[in-house]
Amino acid sequence: MDLRILEKNENSMRFVVTGISTPLANTLRRIILAEVPCMAIDDVIMIENSSVLHDEILALRLGLIPLKTDLDGYNLPEECTCNSELGCNLCRVVLTLDVEAVDETRTVYSEDLVSEDPNIVPVSSKIPIVKLAPGQKVRLEAYAKLGRGVAHAKWQPVSACAYRYVPTVEIDKDVCDNCGDCVDVCPVGVLEKTEDGVKVVNEFECTLCEDCVDACKKNPAAIKVSGNREAFVFYIESTGALPVERIITEALEIYKSKFKEFANQIAVIRNGSEKTD
Amino acid sequence: MNEGRKMQLKVLKKTSQELKFEVEGEGHTFWNLLESVLLEDDKVEFASYNVPHPLISNIIVSIRTKEGKKPEEALQEAVDKALQRGEELNEAFIRALEELNK
Repeated sequence: MDLRILEKNENSMRFVVTGISTPLANTLRRIILAEVPCMAIDDVIMIENSSVLHDEILALRLGLIPLKTDLDGYNLPEECTCNSELGCNLCRVVLTLDVEAVDETRTVYSEDLVSEDPNIVPVSSKIPIVKLAPGQKVRLEAYAKLGRGVAHAKWQPVSACAYRYVPTVEIDKDVCDNCGDCVDVCPVGVLEKTEDGVKVVNEFECTLCEDCVDACKKNPAAIKVSGNREAFVFYIESTGALPVERIITEALEIYKSKFKEFANQIAVIRNGSEKTD
Repeated sequence: MNEGRKMQLKVLKKTSQELKFEVEGEGHTFWNLLESVLLEDDKVEFASYNVPHPLISNIIVSIRTKEGKKPEEALQEAVDKALQRGEELNEAFIRALEELNK
């Protein structure tokens, strides 16, 4: 098993893993999408809302604002000992919003939300929430909680998480007549026409669309593209709620706990007596 | 699906070569991988999971093994293998991160 990071930015990462199976890659992807927790506004108490948006729409828009998450400092509500509907200070953060447009039209932005915890704030300050006309007012209290993507997409820590096979592009030099049709048709510029024939210059970017194979006039085609089923290019883009590397390590931690939990269940099977239905 | 909920298991059928159980708390994320790992074993004749209804997370898992290995042993080995691969992946990732930060 080998892992190489190709690219890492503030909120995204691209890496290649070789020597894993498709089910393992898919499990990792599914855990990242649905089971790595992050914070989002879940309950909203409206004190006053004279804006044009209904309470429900406003609450939905607040829920969809990604919040910077502190996974170590907070509990998941279902695992918290408080058992309270609105949570305690170990499983929720209160954000308040109190904005009034006095003389001019005013847009309410995510930066207007005042959090009780300086670490749990919207990832971006300029996410518009609602536009207020003079005299309109919004006052509310929002409860942010940890949750998982399986319950609602607002708890997904990633905006994109996908993998694809590592591509291989091969040209049969004996058959290729260097017509260049495949070069023109490639949408990502994998091929280049040279005097010595068509060359593969950017193999890694190939999306396996096979347009080049269709464009080839030879039969069978002089060009062959295939994906390596044991090597994957992962692309993960965080919403900003958690650093990308934390999302991956957290996902692998969840992976481990899943199998550990099932290992305990095997003991239940072992101890049971034989039975037939 | 009730993924992420506590696992609950009920044995439906158990003989020395065959095992069938109903399990709650995990979905395709977990079972698709475990099924594929089970099938790598030559001694496993058949392994499959079935989701009777997409909105209810009671999953039926069936395993049949060849003589010389009990299904629960095959399961245990598959779980260990999966755990080991997860660990390897974790180590590979941490190593790659360290290399990047050098």
